[in-house]
Amino acid sequence: MGSMNLILCAAAAAALDICALVLILASYSERRSERKAWSKISADMELADQNRSYALECDEILIGRHASADIRLPDMSVSRYHAMLNVTDGKWTITDIGSKSGIYVNGVHVQHVRLYDNDIITLGNRRLIFRKRRERN
Amino acid sequence: MSNPVSYFFSCVFVIIAHGAMLFNVFQNGNYESVNDVITLCTAVIGLDAAYFIVMPFFKQRTYAVDFMLLLILNMSNIFQSCFGGVHLDLKHFITGIAALVSCRIGCIACRNHRWIQDKKKFVWVGIGVLMIVIFLFCGSRSMWIDLGFMTIQPSEFIKPLLVLACATSISEQQNKHKVLGFNVVYENLILFGIVAAVILFQWWCRDLGSIPTFAAIYASGFLLRICYPKAKFSKKTLIIAGSCVAAAGIVAVILAPPYVKDRLFVDIWNDDVNGYQQTKALIGIAEGGWFGKGPGEGFLHNVVAYESDIVFSTICEEWGLLYALMTALMLLVIVAMPLVNPPRSYYHATMCAGVCAAFTVQMALNIFGSCNMIPFTGVTIPFISAGGSSMVASGLMIGMIAAAQSPVFKNPKPKKSRKQAKRRTS
Repeated sequence: MGSMNLILCAAAAAALDICALVLILASYSERRSERKAWSKISADMELADQNRSYALECDEILIGRHASADIRLPDMSVSRYHAMLNVTDGKWTITDIGSKSGIYVNGVHVQHVRLYDNDIITLGNRRLIFRKRRERN
Repeated sequence: MSNPVSYFFSCVFVIIAHGAMLFNVFQNGNYESVNDVITLCTAVIGLDAAYFIVMPFFKQRTYAVDFMLLLILNMSNIFQSCFGGVHLDLKHFITGIAALVSCRIGCIACRNHRWIQDKKKFVWVGIGVLMIVIFLFCGSRSMWIDLGFMTIQPSEFIKPLLVLACATSISEQQNKHKVLGFNVVYENLILFGIVAAVILFQWWCRDLGSIPTFAAIYASGFLLRICYPKAKFSKKTLIIAGSCVAAAGIVAVILAPPYVKDRLFVDIWNDDVNGYQQTKALIGIAEGGWFGKGPGEGFLHNVVAYESDIVFSTICEEWGLLYALMTALMLLVIVAMPLVNPPRSYYHATMCAGVCAAFTVQMALNIFGSCNMIPFTGVTIPFISAGGSSMVASGLMIGMIAAAQSPVFKNPKPKKSRKQAKRRTS
């Protein structure tokens, strides 16, 4: 095989590599647009307590004390698997999944309820606010 | 379309990549007439252009996975059309189009997990029907159904269904029931039963090469059940399960019939019967070097299953090790796309993991088998090897990854009863 042909082979391989790179970059740009789409689906909500806020980036979010929980609340008054947040058609709901201390939304004991902006959720001794996401600087 | 500029540049670069390959075929290829090359160019670039025009009509938010699939499929078309001399491989070209169509079907069917979770019983029934078809029409020594004008391998279609079965059952981990003092999830038991039945069927059909693929799909589903916060698997349960699987593997190897043991321990250089393909494949890889002999210039097309079982070696020989490795890399990139744009539900994550496991294991079995690093199984490389059933089933699985990239989170519309419908019309 001549040197020209080797160059052609290398060029074809390079074109393939560049194409793969471009498609990965395209996927990365799609990720950003998907984030925007997700903020519409999730109504751009977040959970917050006194110290920090938790982004809601999945359609099923488990709150509990266990290390595998999506939102981990390291507090003995919170059960290991306490509550589940779900979103469908932009509506968030919270469900008690067998906790010991139960769930209180705005002071009312609930098993399964739809959440609205600025609802206060109490899990054991922890209080969380369900609110519109705030931009961080 | 979320980003038309990105769409345009993706189209352009896919065409450039295929154009560079086709120019290489024109310069270095073994062809009798330039018309053969022109036909191949028309088919490849025509399919690219047609796909770019058709895709926006599907109105999805992400396209990167679809373009990656098109890139791989047309690469495969060029490879297959060059083996033993340049001429368009029409059969492979048509199965490639079938793979693109099945990808669209897979994507549309799997986007909304609430919808498909309602239909999961059909997935189980589908697996059952395929096993009955294998039992009735394939027999214990074959995995093919000969329709005269074409052959079908039903076991290939079990793979996407098994991925779906793993994904649709993951949300049921909290629904535990007491059975004989143990907390069990019925769907986990059903899934385990399905996998065990499928693996036994494959053993019965002597399609042992597919068993690792099914096991990998189930293992990925099982691992995600451990990661799933609601699953609550105890360490003791996991250790027992792992020990049982290891023990079953050891027992299977010890009790394996002679024809399996013959395949496991082959001295390929001294066994003319069982080692012929692998020796030729290894020689082909060595002769191809980094940049290959040139498209259509190899000798491996004279060896049985050059276009399917030892396709990696055939590509190495004609296109070079560099290009063959990059082809494998492209397949890894397409299944790794969910790492760039992560799924937003456990269902989609499980589906992506299942597809990734299936593709990785299939590729590893084929490539390492050709290189004599593991026993030779005859498993195909998804999209690269020839084979209609494999192409369509792989297309469905890539459709699942595409579905995870642009998912839908809507509750399915409630079914109206006939009485309600009548009242409305009256």
